[in-house]
Order: sequence, then C-alpha cells, then structure tokens
Amino acid sequence: MTATLVLVLVIALAYLATHVLYDWVAKRYKIVSGAEYLVLGYLLGPQVSGIFDQQVLQGFAPLTTLTLGWVGVLVGMQFHLPQLIKVPGQSWRIAFGESLLTLALVAGVMTWLFSAFYALPTRVALGPGIALGAIAASVTPAGVQAMASLMRSKGAVLHQLELATNVNNLVAISAFGLLLCFLRPPVFATFRTPTVTEWAVIAVGIGIVGGALFHLFLGNEKNPDRLVISVAGAVILASGTAAYLRLSPILSAMIVGFILVNTSGNRERVENVVKHAERPLYFVLLVFAGAMWQPPRQPVWFIPVLVFLGWRAMAKIGAARLVTRWNGAMPMLGPHWGRALMGQGALAIALSLDYVEHAEPRFGYIVFSAAALSVLLTEFAALRLVSSVTEPLLEPLKRIPIAGRYLREELRPSAELPPPDGSSATTDEQPVVRGSSD
Amino acid sequence: MRRAVILVLLYAGLQLVFPLGARRPETLALPIFGFLILAAYTVGELAGSARLPKLVGYLAAGFVFGPAVLGTVPVDVVDFLEPVSELAVALIAFLAGAELQWKELRDRGVVILKLLGAELGLTFLALTLTLMAMHSFVPSLANAPMREVVVFAVLFGSVAIVHSPAVTMAMLSETGARGPVARTTLGVVLVADVAVVVLFSLTLAMTRILVPAPTSGAEAVALLTIVWEVVGAVLVGAVLGGLIAMYLRFFEHQLFIFALIVAYFAAEIAGLLHVERLLMLLVAGFVAEAAAGGKGEKLRHSMERAAAPVFVVFFALAGAAIQPDAVVDMWLLVIPLCLVRAASIWGGTRIGATWAGTAEPERRYVWMGLLSQAGVAIGLAAIVSSVYPQRGEDLQTLFLAMIAINQVVGPILFRRALQKSGELSDTPLGHTHDHEAFTPSAGSPRSTSPA
Repeated sequence: MTATLVLVLVIALAYLATHVLYDWVAKRYKIVSGAEYLVLGYLLGPQVSGIFDQQVLQGFAPLTTLTLGWVGVLVGMQFHLPQLIKVPGQSWRIAFGESLLTLALVAGVMTWLFSAFYALPTRVALGPGIALGAIAASVTPAGVQAMASLMRSKGAVLHQLELATNVNNLVAISAFGLLLCFLRPPVFATFRTPTVTEWAVIAVGIGIVGGALFHLFLGNEKNPDRLVISVAGAVILASGTAAYLRLSPILSAMIVGFILVNTSGNRERVENVVKHAERPLYFVLLVFAGAMWQPPRQPVWFIPVLVFLGWRAMAKIGAARLVTRWNGAMPMLGPHWGRALMGQGALAIALSLDYVEHAEPRFGYIVFSAAALSVLLTEFAALRLVSSVTEPLLEPLKRIPIAGRYLREELRPSAELPPPDGSSATTDEQPVVRGSSD
Repeated sequence: MRRAVILVLLYAGLQLVFPLGARRPETLALPIFGFLILAAYTVGELAGSARLPKLVGYLAAGFVFGPAVLGTVPVDVVDFLEPVSELAVALIAFLAGAELQWKELRDRGVVILKLLGAELGLTFLALTLTLMAMHSFVPSLANAPMREVVVFAVLFGSVAIVHSPAVTMAMLSETGARGPVARTTLGVVLVADVAVVVLFSLTLAMTRILVPAPTSGAEAVALLTIVWEVVGAVLVGAVLGGLIAMYLRFFEHQLFIFALIVAYFAAEIAGLLHVERLLMLLVAGFVAEAAAGGKGEKLRHSMERAAAPVFVVFFALAGAAIQPDAVVDMWLLVIPLCLVRAASIWGGTRIGATWAGTAEPERRYVWMGLLSQAGVAIGLAAIVSSVYPQRGEDLQTLFLAMIAINQVVGPILFRRALQKSGELSDTPLGHTHDHEAFTPSAGSPRSTSPA
C-alpha cells in the first residue's frame, strides 16, 4: 500500500473511531482524545513499521507547516479585544505572572541541566532550555472548554482558567518564535545577513503585514466559499512564508489570527472557517509528529525528559500558587488551580515539531520526546484535572440549600439538556473533545 | 479592484522575502501555493465582474504567475503541487458522477446517447482526417509511411475528441445553471468520458499491434489489462460507491471532510488496482448518490462546497502548466484542428439533436458546452507520450496546444450558451446550502481548539 493511502485510511478510521466509539468512552470516563494519533504515527513511521519513510515525510513537509500555521491562527483568534478588555486587571496579572514564571522556571532548570549533564556551554544549552520552557508554558484548552460545555455558565475559576490558557499559549508561541530568530542559520543575501532583532521584526512583520492585508482582502466577505478560499490562502501564505525564511510559522500565523479576529466584520464566520479544518489538520499534525519522532542519540536521554515532566508539573502548580498569593486571589482561585493548567495538546506538539525542524538534531528529539510524553500523559487527563480544581471550590456553596440547588442545576451536563430546537443533539460538527456527563 | 491592489502588494512582498531564504521546491511550495490561491481567486472575481467565467480568471492567474510569464510559480513547484491537482481531479470526477442521477439517466438517456453518438462520431472522423491531411506539420510523422500516419491519426482522434468534466462541473457550480442545456451538456460530457476511455484504450491496443512501441514493456498487447481497466473501474467504483452509501446511511458525520477523504482514497485505490481512475470515481459517485437514498444529496452538497476552493486550485495550476510556446510553434496545425473540432462538434450536435428530437435551445446551444478540454485530455496525452516517446511527445505537444486554446475558449462559450438559453442563475450550486458551512462550531459550547 502507498503511504498516501495509509495516511488517508488512518485519518478516515480515526474519524470513525472518534465519532462512533470514542465519543461514548469519553463521555463515560472523562477522557479528552487526540494523543492516540501520536502513537499511531510513531507506529507507522520509520522507527517501527516504516510505512511512512523519510522521503514521504519530507514530501508532506508543506502540509506539516500548514498544520503548524493553523494551530497558530487558532490561538491568535482567542484574543478578541472587545471581550478581553472586560477582564479585570488582576486576572491578567495572574495569567501573565503564572505563564512567565513557568517559562522562566522550566527554561532555567532545563538550561542548567543540559549544561551540566552534557557539558555544554550555557549559550548552547539555552536553545533547548528555552524551547522546553516555552513548551512547558503551553496548555491545551480542551479540558477547560469541555468543562465549560458541562456547565450552563462559567464561574470565576473557569474564566480565569480560560484566560490563563490563552495567555500561556501566547507566551509560549512568542518566546518560541523569538528563540527561532536566534537559532536561525545565517543567510547570504545580496546585501547583508539580517541581525537577530531584524529576524524578529520580520517574523512579527509577516504576521502584522499579512494580517492587515488579509483583513483588507477579506473585506466584508460573507460568502462561505469565498471565505474558505481567502482564509486558507492567507494562512498558507503567511505560515509558508515564515517557514520559507526558517522562522516560526506558528508565531506569524498567530498574529494573522489575532488581526483577523479583531478587524474582520465577519469574525464568527472567519472563526468557523478556521475551526472547520481544525480536526483533520489536528489529526494530520499528530500522525506526522508521531512518525517523525526518533529516539535521541544522547545516552540517558530520558533523564532530561523525566526532569522536564516532573519539574513542569511543579512549576505550573507552584507558579500559579505564588502568583495567586501575590495578587491576593487565594479565596477566589484556591491554592491548587495550577493543576488545571497541566494538560498539554497540539500546541506543545506543534512547537516541538517546529523546534526539530530548526534546531540541532541532537537536542531536537529530546525536546520533542519531552513534549510528546507530556501530551501523552496529560491530555487524556485534562478534563479531570480541570474538574478536580473547579468542583472543590463549589463544595462549600453546595451546603447552602438555595445555592446548592442552583449549583446542581448549574452543573447539570449539557449533553443531558434538550437542544433548544428540539432536534437531535448530535450534529455534523462533533467536537474534538468530549466531556463527561457523569 | 481592492483585492487586485493587495495582490500586487503581496507579490511585491514575496519578491522582497524570496532572496532571504533557500529557493527549493519543498520550501517554496507553500508560500507560492498560498499566493496562487489568492491570485486565482482575485483574478477570478475580476473575470466574474467582466461577465467572463471565473475559471477563465483562475486559468489566467495561473498562466500569468506561472513559468510562462512572470515565473512566480516555477516549473518544479508546479510539479511539487501535482498531488493537489490529482486530488482536485478526483473530487471533480466523483462529484460529476453524483450529479448524474439515475432518474435523469433513465429519462434522458436516449437523447444523450443520440447526441453523443453523432457528435463523437463526426468529431473523431473529422479530426482523424484533418491530421492525416496535415501530417507533414508534425515533425515525427512528416516522413512516416502512410499506414503509420493513419494509425497515429486515429490515435490522435481518439484523444482529441475528449471533453472536460472538470470545466463543465466548475461552470455549473459557478453559475448554478440547472436547465435542459446545462443538464444535457453534463450528461453528454460524462457519458462521453466513459466512451472516450473505452475508445482510447481500444485504439491504443490497435496502435500497439500495428506499430509496436519502442519502449520496453509496451510491446505486448495486454487486451485483458485494458478490459480490466474499464470493467474493473466500473466494478470497483460500484463497490466503493456502495460503501460510501453505507457510511451515509449509518454515520453521516463531517461530510465536508469525508468528501475530500473519499476523493483522495478513491484515487489511491484506482492506482493500486490499475483501473481507470476517472471512470471509477464517476461510477462511485453515481452509485453513492443512487444507493444512499435521500442522504446522497447531502454528500453532493458537501462536495459542492469543497469543490469551490478545489476548482480555484485546479484551474490555477492548470493555467500555470499552459505552454504558449507549443501554440506558437504549431499554430499552423493547431488553429485548423481547433476550428475543425469546433465545427464538427457543432455539426454533430445539430445532427444528434435533430435525430433525438430535442427542444430548440438544446439543439442550438449544447455544442458550446462541449468545446472545453482539460485534465482528461492531458492524462491521455501523457499515456500516448509514455508509450511512444518520440511521436507521442509530438502528439502531446499538439494536444497541450489545443487544450491551451480550448480550455480558455470553452468556458466562455459555455457561459454564453447558458446565458442565451436563459439558464444562468444568481444562486450558484455551492451557495444554496450556506447554512451547512456554519453549523454550530464556534457557537457550540462543545467545540474546542486543539492548541
């Protein structure tokens, strides 16, 4: 069988499995799906079955770049300014404080570890260290969104978690995008090689100029066919240009997404177009990421990976706790809300894949392995982690009779609620994440 | 106009950026592909506002930014994007089969067959005789024995008669035309596709007997292989169509993506089983629509929605592949051949329509929808070229030159035919189900981002 056919079959079967079987399992056991395709990709890749050989993977490189760009656009589209300005300053401080502290803690420790463990100069160790710091900051929105779908309205904790997730992803992409400007090999242009600062300006500029031009290009377009063509063209062009310059397509595409969502008169329609392609591209990203994984060449490579996993968990919880205390928000958020930010998903994979394509292979696969293992371990538990934070905060209120009745109603799973139009709850648009209904 | 200005700015931006990176097909493919989509879309809109078919604009954009003029899309990038074109062809073929509904085939089958018989017969004869008469213009046939000239003229005729399901589908999708001229044209084009594949296969087999191919492996006439290519395509297509119908009946999820997967999957299956790909997809589409009950229509609408961007990409890449040099080099032969083809299609259609007793609009305007040529002709020409490297290459150049003319003139005439017959609609096919494109994904509380 050809590799393309296998890929198509895998994705087709993944769809069926997701829709028909996994939906049921997920609802029952509070599982968020996605990571299984990573394992599937690994089994199909050159390391195990060899169905996808290196040549095939190289042939599909543009598709991989497109998926990275799409992930970036989706993150950028979460920042709709008219909604965000309503968020209190304290929430912003907590979100940025937690994400930057996590980034700094993980990057610092991992840089030290690489430096000490592999006897590297600090300057060299900073690359994988900061990459892992950025990956550590990233959070999957799956758990928070699934939890939100189970409740009729969001409380303060869920609002904070939603904001923190988006800010964490923003910080992760920005830090990683800037890192790639440092790692970028020199170019022999006709005039002179741009400096790191200039590369950073170019990376951001692709997003800003691209976003502004695509905004003008889209205009007030409402026709779905034309929107699909324009948005697809815009994302492909922006992420492709960034990748062509060996910059991060995720960063440029995120800025494009941010500009489009804030300037377009058809924000919801544009968002829908982007989300329409989300699922197949997500599967493609995971399958390719799995196929591209190679065991690192360094001896005892698993030590930095294990340290990353453990230290990230501690950094997330610790940073959230510290920042909450500094901002006097302990009564509202509690000491353990950082636990809900431990789930990782497609962004972590996208960042690590981007790193593998740009960085030295000797450390690229350590970073990738750490991200992949983290996703495998945490994505399945994302919803449980979120609910473990939100539910205890509501317990004291449940003891008050009136509030308790209200909360029981509030926490009634939406899957059990009759749809507003009285039709079947199952639509053509099933989400990637399936929440619990227990 | 605003979009054209932005396109110029994007073009200028790319020219600034390109010197800063490594110019390799795999790195260039994505930005150029994105630019080509936006360029084709913009020029298509401009063409639309000039009352020309949008697909002429897509072709024009591909041509202007392609290797022939500005060179923004280099040849190696066009080759790199070949799988995208193949996916587009597969989707179009499947959609075309789904459009050809059983009821219509039963009601209008005789009319279509009579029109087709007269049109194909006359065109085949006229083109074969014209090439025989003008064979001295083809370098590799100029000094060939008469027997070989006749054989290659027949082979040429069997390819040159082909129509373009892609252009027909794109035009119907763009205009939303559903009247008798549109339906009859579609029926003739689709059934002709099957007939041409069979005729071409038989002609190639005959040619191989009379003029053994110089390439290794091509010397043996594998009649069974040819039979399998055709019969197998029908069988495999029917099985695939049945499986798709089952999916539609029992699952019916994510039809938009499912449509794309089906198209790609089917194209791969055809390659693996060595069956005629387009015929297999046509049959699969036809069976899926017929066997899925009312649910086949949903898939068709989903595919129509997927088709809009696919048409942009397909015709932009087709435009980039146009070789004006071929037309210039062989214009003394190409122009008469195109004129003879057009005249014989007109004559054949008039005879067939009179024979079938069709209404006046069909008798007068259907021929204008049959001039276009695109993907199928290129595919068949490539087969001839692979079997007979030297003569086949000459014929392939001739075909490419004819296609370059017919794929631009054809859609313009087809649009005019639909306009004259009063079948142009304000609501294109892909737009009738806009609500389907925006089923609650963003608004749904259960939707999520993968990041």
